[in-house]
Amino acid sequence: MPGGMQLKTEVLATSTCALCGACLDWCPYLKNLEDHLVLRFDCPVTEQGRCYSVCPRTFTDWQAINDRFLAGVDYDTDIGAFQTVYRVKSRQSIRDQQDGGTVSTLLRTALLDELVDGVLVTGKEDALTPWPFLAEDAAEIEKAAGSRYLVSPSLRKIIEAREKGLEKLAVVGRPCQVQALRKMEFNRPPDSPALDVLSIGLFCMWSLSWAFKDYLAKTYPGLTFSRMAIPQHEVELTSNEGIKSLPMETVQEFIRTGCRYCLDMTSELADISVGAFEPVPGWNTVVIRSDRGKELLDRAVSQDLLQAEEYPPEELNRLRQASRNKKARGLRNIKQAAEEQKLTPFIDMSQPPYQAIMEESSGKEGF
Amino acid sequence: MSNQLGKDPLNVIICGVGGQGNILASELLASALVEKGYYTTVGETYGASQRGGSVMSHVRISARKQYSALIPRGEADIIIGFEPIETLRVARDFGNKDTRVVFDPRPNYPLGVLIGEAVYPEIEAIANELRYLCDSVQILEATRLAQEAGNAQAANILLMGALTAMPEIPLTAEDYGQVLTQRFKGEVYELNQKVFNLGFNSLAV
Amino acid sequence: MEWMVKANEPGKTYLLQGNEAIVRGALEAGIRFAASYPGSPASEIMAMLGRVAGEMDIYAEWSTNENCAFQACMGASMGQVRSLCVVKQNGLLTIGDALHTAALSGCKGGVVLLAADDPNAHSSTNEFDSRHQARAAGIPMLEPATFQEAKDMMVYAFELSEKLQQVVMVRSVTRICHGRGNVTLGELPESPSQPLPIGEWDRLVAINWFHDMLFAKLDQAQAEFENAPFNGYSGPENPELLIITSGTGWLYSVEAVEALKLEDKVGILKLGTTWPLPEKLVLKYLEKTSRVLVVEEVDPVLEQNVASIIGHNPGLNVSLFGRYKKSALPQSFELNPDVVINALATLMNTEYQPRQTGEVPAEAVVNIPPRDLTFCAGCPHRASFFLLKQTLRIHEGNGVVMGDIGCYTMGGQRAGHFLLHSVACMGAGINMGEGLGQLSRFGFDQPVVALAGDSTFFHSCLPGLVNARYHDANMLFVILDNSATAMTGFQPHPGIDINCMGQPANSISIEKVVEAIGCPVVVADPYEIEATTQIVYDLIKQPGMKVLILRQPCATLAVRTKGRRKVWVDPELCRGDECGCGRFCSKTWGCPGNIWDYEAGKAKIDEVVCIGCGVCATLCPAGAIKVEEGGAV
Repeated sequence: MPGGMQLKTEVLATSTCALCGACLDWCPYLKNLEDHLVLRFDCPVTEQGRCYSVCPRTFTDWQAINDRFLAGVDYDTDIGAFQTVYRVKSRQSIRDQQDGGTVSTLLRTALLDELVDGVLVTGKEDALTPWPFLAEDAAEIEKAAGSRYLVSPSLRKIIEAREKGLEKLAVVGRPCQVQALRKMEFNRPPDSPALDVLSIGLFCMWSLSWAFKDYLAKTYPGLTFSRMAIPQHEVELTSNEGIKSLPMETVQEFIRTGCRYCLDMTSELADISVGAFEPVPGWNTVVIRSDRGKELLDRAVSQDLLQAEEYPPEELNRLRQASRNKKARGLRNIKQAAEEQKLTPFIDMSQPPYQAIMEESSGKEGF
Repeated sequence: MSNQLGKDPLNVIICGVGGQGNILASELLASALVEKGYYTTVGETYGASQRGGSVMSHVRISARKQYSALIPRGEADIIIGFEPIETLRVARDFGNKDTRVVFDPRPNYPLGVLIGEAVYPEIEAIANELRYLCDSVQILEATRLAQEAGNAQAANILLMGALTAMPEIPLTAEDYGQVLTQRFKGEVYELNQKVFNLGFNSLAV
Repeated sequence: MEWMVKANEPGKTYLLQGNEAIVRGALEAGIRFAASYPGSPASEIMAMLGRVAGEMDIYAEWSTNENCAFQACMGASMGQVRSLCVVKQNGLLTIGDALHTAALSGCKGGVVLLAADDPNAHSSTNEFDSRHQARAAGIPMLEPATFQEAKDMMVYAFELSEKLQQVVMVRSVTRICHGRGNVTLGELPESPSQPLPIGEWDRLVAINWFHDMLFAKLDQAQAEFENAPFNGYSGPENPELLIITSGTGWLYSVEAVEALKLEDKVGILKLGTTWPLPEKLVLKYLEKTSRVLVVEEVDPVLEQNVASIIGHNPGLNVSLFGRYKKSALPQSFELNPDVVINALATLMNTEYQPRQTGEVPAEAVVNIPPRDLTFCAGCPHRASFFLLKQTLRIHEGNGVVMGDIGCYTMGGQRAGHFLLHSVACMGAGINMGEGLGQLSRFGFDQPVVALAGDSTFFHSCLPGLVNARYHDANMLFVILDNSATAMTGFQPHPGIDINCMGQPANSISIEKVVEAIGCPVVVADPYEIEATTQIVYDLIKQPGMKVLILRQPCATLAVRTKGRRKVWVDPELCRGDECGCGRFCSKTWGCPGNIWDYEAGKAKIDEVVCIGCGVCATLCPAGAIKVEEGGAV
């Protein structure tokens, strides 16, 4: 397994990096500041590099990983292996909740029921700036409510979890982060300690670079923002001087290059995936994948903390299509970048699911 | 130690790494010689060597006249090395078959070795090559002895003791002791005199 | 030694360093005023004058830069007081205009300019031959060849300076300045020179009208030099080859003639007064030979002056050899006895075989690792370069860093992760940064960073800072403030509240100066690597001129005043090569205090070298490096 220099040339320098943060761990060569992640000094490791082995953007056989962690679960080529999909909302209102408050509730349940001894979540410094932290106390979870649109390499906190002696962790992550967590376990050297992770994967289209903050500071000098949301196809920013709306096109300019190569909208490898329920505000879409994920939802529902209802089939199809579109865009971007010699593909594009998707949806524009 | 200068000029090189007290050692030696009536020239290379670089003092002793500050190639009669690889470097450039070499085997690692890009040679290999280059090579663990006596930093004075004991050097232990008395007081003087004596009595000369 | 330099023991012989001999000579000449800026190989001169100033009742100053120093000497000279200015070769170039105008105006009280060159640039960026400037400015010049002369020439020079009312240069080199040898002391004056009132018409004015007068003074000097005690010939009546030599060249030439046993064929004309040349004396010996070898350091200055004499005397039949076009000697780098021996042997068609060591069989030859320079253990520059390098890598890795002169110049090497893109002379960093930073108007968008030390800041960055602010350059100016002029020996500068003589001085706050000029300024601690990285990152994103002061005292100085704090590696926690960190502490952080215990296979702290700054402890990924609590640093 190559090391830091290969990570740099293949992932960091090609802008393929998803900024999941998994590579950072204890490595003194990799450095993250805001939304930058660099090899600050040349690394001498050329074999068995941990960073390379956990990175979701190095060449991976995702089928093998799926078969290891979601064995026996029916596989769907659009949204990954899953047992059931529900629409869910919290029975109590949660301050700053983005949609249904489901993730916050699931985390509280996991901690209070001692399924985990800590949670890794992303709070906020100000409304926009993400700030990952570890919580061992359920009361701290509310600090992490709400969606973060600016990218955060939150997995850089894993090292702290180890140092604190936490053995079972619930992690809320983007699809790339869930991928990294699975690779961490899949590629873990046999004599190295395991970290038991219960993954709550989020739905994700993209993350924004922190240049978006600079843009807002320049465009709206002096304003402070308390919330960002994308209700339909406009971005709404709640400020101390009312709501500012931005067209999607403006915001899309700040989408990270690395996000454009992503093929996973619904966190297909998580124990449980959560996203917005598009038709009705205040509700979440929840995808149960593993038995651990099922157990977590069941507990929250049986304790009357969450309300889970049937998922409308037409919504499921719409969800599938959206996910398929993202894969198509991602594949097209990877193909184009590979042709321009900007990167080497990190998945085998000749594999059936990828081939089929690309053939089906040529002609759509990528972002 | 002797009362007369035999070879004229007598060329001594004291070498090591910046910070080892090379300069002080050669200055005390040369002062003692001037006091005794000899022309002594000391040539030094330092400046940036505070920061881990090589340091060399060329000491040239004559009863007849002042010599230049640099010893020609192959003309070093005695080499006192505060550090092994510096000793070898100097012996290769300035030594001859008859040169008498005494060195402290405690290594001072160059930056290249610290960063794993170079390997510090085995002390025995260094001594081995030195024995090919020059007929008389002796190891004197000056730093260790000085540390046991009370201060590792006084290794330089200990080596000066060993040098003074050599028959080529027209100084007695008292001559050097006089300089020590002039320069140091109290505990520092006591320690320096003690390590000087240790060095003076340490080698079979 | 200081007590030797002050000793009232005329006739006594001591071992003096060349610089000490110069100090003694200046004291014997009765100087009252001395000014300098630190520069190797001459730094010890003013340092010692500062220490003896109180007792000897003189004034000694570490001026902010050489211009201040030299012009202050000219000012003191107006008061009829003997003044000494000490510069190294780069400093001499700094005072170019001042020197030429001073030569035109002349002086009142004797002014001697001690210019110390560094052949081979042992402690310099370049090797420049100061003697060019003596000739260019039109002032008389002397070159000591021995430590005794270093002392005696000072007295002679001051007397000459007052006789001619002209600045006199004494040009020394590293091997004289830093070497030591026998010096017989002369008499110290009863009382040093007193300032006298300046009349309404006592003037020092440089006008071109005086140009001819300048030449008249040179002619007067030349007449004196024909009989000067520092010139002399030794050798056969009609030598086959005549060596004309000055400075250190003399003893090398004597040794070369001895080594080759050519005493009856080669004569040596030693010159101590080398501008203007005592032409009658030189001609006298040129007439006796057909071949001349000129031995000198650094450039063929003496050689070309001799060539000029030969050219003006067509009756001579002389072939000239020397450094010019490498006709006999190398054109650059330092002389030593071997170089001169080889040149002489070639010219005289004889063999020279240096004494040999025993032969070493190939398998016994040891591979000696080179000894590179690095920052001292605990040096704040190591931390500064580390955090600057990582910040620039974070910032898309395309920042351009302009270096300057000081210990931190080594930041262009491995010790500083090869951070520097440019190195020139004092004050160049900020000016080059300003120039490059202006290109942003043409689309140049790489971050521009310029460095300077605290002493360099006062020496030559003030106009550069004003210029950059005035023109609003897009750059970050980083002042590495370690509270000392460290590279040259920890001399004080205007940011320090004591002066050369150990007395209290009005220290000047760097940040207040920067604020007064109008630049935003931040002060940060380079030891706090992560926090300061964020500060630098944020500053780089801002447009315009920004100043950052990275303040932490020089480690070597700190250890003298505050002592060490214990740092050690816990071998239970250090994971050795298993860590995967690639020995980050010793290899990438690279402090000489961080070493590797090859037996245990773990990192280790060299307690003899470590000063206890504790920065490595913040970098160890295993948290294996421990720092004693409550310690000094």
